[in-house]
Amino acid sequence: MLNRSQQPELQAIHKIDFVKPQQFDITSTVKLYFMKEVANDTARFDLYFDAGTVKGEKGIPSFVNSLLLSGTQDKSSTLIHEQIDALGGFMESGISFESAVTSMFCLRENVLPLMHILIDAIQNVAFFEREIDELVQDKKQGYLMNLEKVSFLAQRGFQQRLFHTSENYSKVANPDYYENVSSSQLKSFYRENYLEGLFKVVVVGNLEQDAIDEIIDTIGKWSKPTTREFESNIQNLPGNTHIEKEGAVQTAIRLGKILFNKTHEDYNDFVVLNTVLGDYFGSRLMSNIREDKGYTYGIGSMLSEYNKFGYFMIATEVASEFKDATLKEIKFEIEKLQTELISEDELALVKNYLLGQLLKSADGPYSMMDLYTSAQINGFDFEFYNKCIEDLHKITPERIKELAVKYLNWNDMTIVTAG
Amino acid sequence: MIEFERFKLKNGLTVLFHKDVTTPMVVINTLYDVGARDESEDKTGFAHLFEHLMFGGSVNIPDFDAPLQNAGGESNAFTSNDITNYYDVLPAHNIETGLWLESDRMLSLAFTEKSLEVQRNVVIEEFKQRYLNQPYGDVWLELRPLAYEKHPYKWATIGKEISHIENATMEDVKAFFHKHYNPSNAILCIAGNFELEEIKRLVEKWYGDIPAGIKPARILDKEPKQKEFREQIIERSVPSDAFYYAFKMPERRDPAYYIVDILSDALGREKSSRLYVSIKKEKQIASSISAYITGSLDDGLLIISGKLNPGKTFEELDKALWEVIDEMKKTTISKEELDRLLIKIRTEKEFQEEGLLNRAMNLCTFELLGDANGINEEREIYQSITPKHIHHYANEILKQTNCSLLKVKAINNAE
Repeated sequence: MLNRSQQPELQAIHKIDFVKPQQFDITSTVKLYFMKEVANDTARFDLYFDAGTVKGEKGIPSFVNSLLLSGTQDKSSTLIHEQIDALGGFMESGISFESAVTSMFCLRENVLPLMHILIDAIQNVAFFEREIDELVQDKKQGYLMNLEKVSFLAQRGFQQRLFHTSENYSKVANPDYYENVSSSQLKSFYRENYLEGLFKVVVVGNLEQDAIDEIIDTIGKWSKPTTREFESNIQNLPGNTHIEKEGAVQTAIRLGKILFNKTHEDYNDFVVLNTVLGDYFGSRLMSNIREDKGYTYGIGSMLSEYNKFGYFMIATEVASEFKDATLKEIKFEIEKLQTELISEDELALVKNYLLGQLLKSADGPYSMMDLYTSAQINGFDFEFYNKCIEDLHKITPERIKELAVKYLNWNDMTIVTAG
Repeated sequence: MIEFERFKLKNGLTVLFHKDVTTPMVVINTLYDVGARDESEDKTGFAHLFEHLMFGGSVNIPDFDAPLQNAGGESNAFTSNDITNYYDVLPAHNIETGLWLESDRMLSLAFTEKSLEVQRNVVIEEFKQRYLNQPYGDVWLELRPLAYEKHPYKWATIGKEISHIENATMEDVKAFFHKHYNPSNAILCIAGNFELEEIKRLVEKWYGDIPAGIKPARILDKEPKQKEFREQIIERSVPSDAFYYAFKMPERRDPAYYIVDILSDALGREKSSRLYVSIKKEKQIASSISAYITGSLDDGLLIISGKLNPGKTFEELDKALWEVIDEMKKTTISKEELDRLLIKIRTEKEFQEEGLLNRAMNLCTFELLGDANGINEEREIYQSITPKHIHHYANEILKQTNCSLLKVKAINNAE
């Protein structure tokens, strides 16, 4: 007779087989990472530029990023898009504080022709006035729409206070960004940070070495050696701030502080603490604030990482009448971690969960490459994850408590609410 | 080619097995043939609320998530107007924990008052977060009843109104479970590095003794053929005017479904599409415009939506939009344009099939449509479509009398 109340026996994970991408030097500072182990015809390539938002004034970095396919003297923006579509390419482009990336998803047979089209488009942007005006107008519409969202308002207010001591990281969009955008500013940012700012290339797909050689050859002509520098020692401004939004039925909460990235000795163990607190469905915050109280559809905590630092953040949208109650419960959960030892059972569950998630993050060539590059940013290899597995098996309840005391002091937190 | 094996248990459960020797994970995907279209009009939002309750503990297991997390796995689900789909992704060697959990909640739920109480609140917050507290968030709550008069697609998955969720009782919940959550109304797909015999043994072990139940008959109100143009204007505190043209289109099983899918791509999928080039790039009437289909199993919608640029009117847009549509109806599209649309579809499909979870979900969906192997036939269907087919359906679908138009007029522009 089947015993349905008894969980089947579990096996733990002790080892994960990582597949390391091949690495090529395009120049002394620009590297190409290549993952060939793809079972079907899909492929992706990413071009990384030292063109993040901290590198420029006002909205310039974001405008330039969106204008990369806006046309050259020889081709209109529509023609470029037609050519990309005719080869089945899906282009995505994104920008963060410290870098900008342009990615192409396609069939492997189309990687080279698409790369040539993309590189030609990016290297020869004409910055037509009409394209600039259209883009700035669209961005302004997007900005006005964002102002209607409490999540945006809270995130923006949080960013200003979190990066309090850094002008570059704390600046946020304002209506002024969309007036009198100068094309000479756009062009000079483009020259410095795109024409001379390529710093990494990633290729995933079952391609022959010839194709990789051609990519290196084409991009080699382009890239200049770059030295990238980043701010560190940024400090957040602790304390509460509320941003009023008339008519909102929910209140957005953002709460956190400046912390570290993978290079810090406490990083691996802090990841476990963060998971316990708010980074999985069964976390303390989800169990209490969603599954017990029903104040929210979701609440989570995270560790965001940059080249020289990181930050910790808790984010949620709650029924407006439960704003204070939610803050009280968040504080309660943090203090509980600082004063009470986590049970062996709960810690074992979180360890098993994290090991399973790491196994999943290494499943398939695309995930494997992303896992690799996220360690590589801080100069690590897959060794980093092997160390993670080791540390996970060693962590104790005392250590979780110690880190909660060390890093989650309520009075150090920047708290922003909007609603 | 996505290989799979199919077998059926005595209680009616359909099982698909997809072998992938490269993955260390296993996906257990369960599709229940129930969606918001199966709700009664005075109790909407129920299929979705129920999906939340499926995580509130089952008859022999008080907590669904913890044992799965302990096995290194995670789980989620979604509800649409047509189906409810649950999936677990966990390390392959712990497959039995997944089967244990999924089979127990198919057997019966715990039905605790606490779970119902809390999930009612969670869903109400979801309603607010996604539909009320977002600019344009309530558009589909307005557009559905405009486009559908009779068919239950006239309400959204989240429900017609919050009160329906607030009023859900334990009795309702139990009745819903007994009617829809039984083996004969489910399709299970397991994907991972296993042997078929092992999967057969494990599935029989965990699911074999679940009582069969009766597959509920589905008799839905058929949507009458639309004969008149419909239009509605709503005023909202949003930054720009927005438009939603909704054209009725054939159901998912109709071969014409694929033709209309391509038609929508030609109109407004990419930045080289006709509406985008004409209305955004050339005439600069809209700041955004796109066309897509809802992909629903019964008669669906082809939607053209977007936002107006400041100073532009709905009338200017309407004129320009019908010009593009009339051109589409008058002439056949070139081979070159069609090829461009087809290679995007092929590329997209190849990426979808790269992921293990997607493969498992899609196999279940195609099995629901009649045959899981449909997943392997789709590409050929698309490739067989000709400019003539598209021309025919452009004239069939893109008519005023087949169209419902929702305009969102911006008031008190915040600036």
